[in-house]
Amino acid sequence: MSKPTPRKIVLKGRGVTGGVAEGEALVSPRPLMGWGMVNEKMGYTTEEGHPLFEVPFKGRVLVFPGMRGSGGFVMYGRTRAFDTHPAAFVYTRGNSVMYFASMNAKVPTVTDLDKDPVEFIETGDWVKVDGDKGVVEIIKKA
Amino acid sequence: MLQLNTEEQRILDGSHGHMAQKCMEFLVAYGEAAGAERLVDIDGTVDIHPNSVSWVGDFPITQEEIEELARKGEKFKVPTYANKPVNPGLIIDGWETCGTRPNNDPDYHNKCMQNLKPLIQMGMVPTLSCDYYLVSTFWPTQGQHCSWGESSAIPWCNAVLGARTNFDGCFQAAYLGRIPYYDLHVPENRLATIRVESESVLQSDMEYDLFGWAVGEFCGMDVPAIVGVGSPKINQLVKMNSALCTGGQVRMYHIVGVTPEAPTLEATKKSPKWAKQAAIGRKELRAAYELLNTAKTDEVDFVYLGCPHYSIEEVQKVAWLLEGKKCRISTWVMTNPATYRLAEMMGYRAMIEGAGANLLSGTCACELRGECPPTDVFATDSAKQAYYIKGHAHPKELGVCYGTTEDCVKAATTGTWQGEWRDT
Repeated sequence: MSKPTPRKIVLKGRGVTGGVAEGEALVSPRPLMGWGMVNEKMGYTTEEGHPLFEVPFKGRVLVFPGMRGSGGFVMYGRTRAFDTHPAAFVYTRGNSVMYFASMNAKVPTVTDLDKDPVEFIETGDWVKVDGDKGVVEIIKKA
Repeated sequence: MLQLNTEEQRILDGSHGHMAQKCMEFLVAYGEAAGAERLVDIDGTVDIHPNSVSWVGDFPITQEEIEELARKGEKFKVPTYANKPVNPGLIIDGWETCGTRPNNDPDYHNKCMQNLKPLIQMGMVPTLSCDYYLVSTFWPTQGQHCSWGESSAIPWCNAVLGARTNFDGCFQAAYLGRIPYYDLHVPENRLATIRVESESVLQSDMEYDLFGWAVGEFCGMDVPAIVGVGSPKINQLVKMNSALCTGGQVRMYHIVGVTPEAPTLEATKKSPKWAKQAAIGRKELRAAYELLNTAKTDEVDFVYLGCPHYSIEEVQKVAWLLEGKKCRISTWVMTNPATYRLAEMMGYRAMIEGAGANLLSGTCACELRGECPPTDVFATDSAKQAYYIKGHAHPKELGVCYGTTEDCVKAATTGTWQGEWRDT
């Protein structure tokens, strides 16, 4: 009996910040918020009622639709100073403050993909993010 | 790929000096991350947050560098306004009696004010507020390119004035008078893809605040065309903008017949069909109200008013509500430094302080990160402050009462929350 081949999906988009990284996906169906709503020392959101409330993102590929709220969203990038930063960012659509977060985190980031990453990636999938080529490879969890 | 013109390339090569080169290196890195194809000259205005004038750690602008530039007589290239100081927040007026450290320490205050001087020498107007636009006495006009950096202010620039900005106000933009041209600088990205109808004409400031929250949640980063709200007052637009960029990230919107790029609904449409439509009524406003009201008890111990920083009309309202009364709990009324002067001239500072409350300027409870009177139940009339303060307090379980300004003043003088909408 042959092992089933893990299902692989490739999404193509635009690299925001370069480099290549991989890790287990952590997917937020809802936008993320910064300022008081992220604890950069603990590396998680402090937004009560949010699906990722207190879920650490360190070393994960953080996949989310976008941000809302304050420019304090850059604190997602300043997690780098506390070594709690994600391995990579994949967001459906970016804005200036999200680009600044990526530049601060210094991790690969891809956005503007041909398909909505929040729909195609599930928490637990293995995801490789190539910020140089703007490509996201997803190995679906078994 | 970002293309620079000859002049910009020369700046990048260092022929305009080291600081110009550093600033251009940031604009190039940012422009490339954003997918911008070029830079644009800023013919409008810029705002910067003192103490945090650059967005990205790899492109720092230090206090020493700013002092050196000021000593050499260098100036910002475009009109530049001070947002609230951040990291940490700073009380500009009223610090002497705020009762919290380190802001009530004269040495701390004087040192922080001293640090602002080189930026002011370079031309930064010390408006020192999140709603600096209310007192700047100078606005960009329709179509001008800007670089603003405050979530609640971005829709003021884009939607209310019809000028054009992304969320990127910084030292580098002020120094070079340039910013990447993409997103909301581009006319077609300013058109609406969503139609939002208010089921009834909005009346109170709180209704505008809650409406902003609901529209923000529905729209995310997209541009809505709003119909049916009526004719908002200035304070109501300030509140709505703040909530639009808390519940969501609505940096641009149209109110048909009110905002400058919306003479008709048809003129706002990006394509013949709306991507999404919503009718927002009492049910949605009520849901936002419930979300913001999290206190399990009516016993309030701290009232915070002034998010965004109160206008003179709002300070006046609170002063008159408090006149001749006594606050039973800590009560802060926050405005911007320019409005603080007006409030002093009009006797409102005396009225507010006479009632045992504090009139302050330049920061907010959230920005002070816990440097407030101790609180377990916090009351405010701002959706933005009500929502964020819980995150700032985390892991402590802070209860929040959200309601009208009148509800908050009543809580200040009685210590008890009796929100007008609570049981309706």
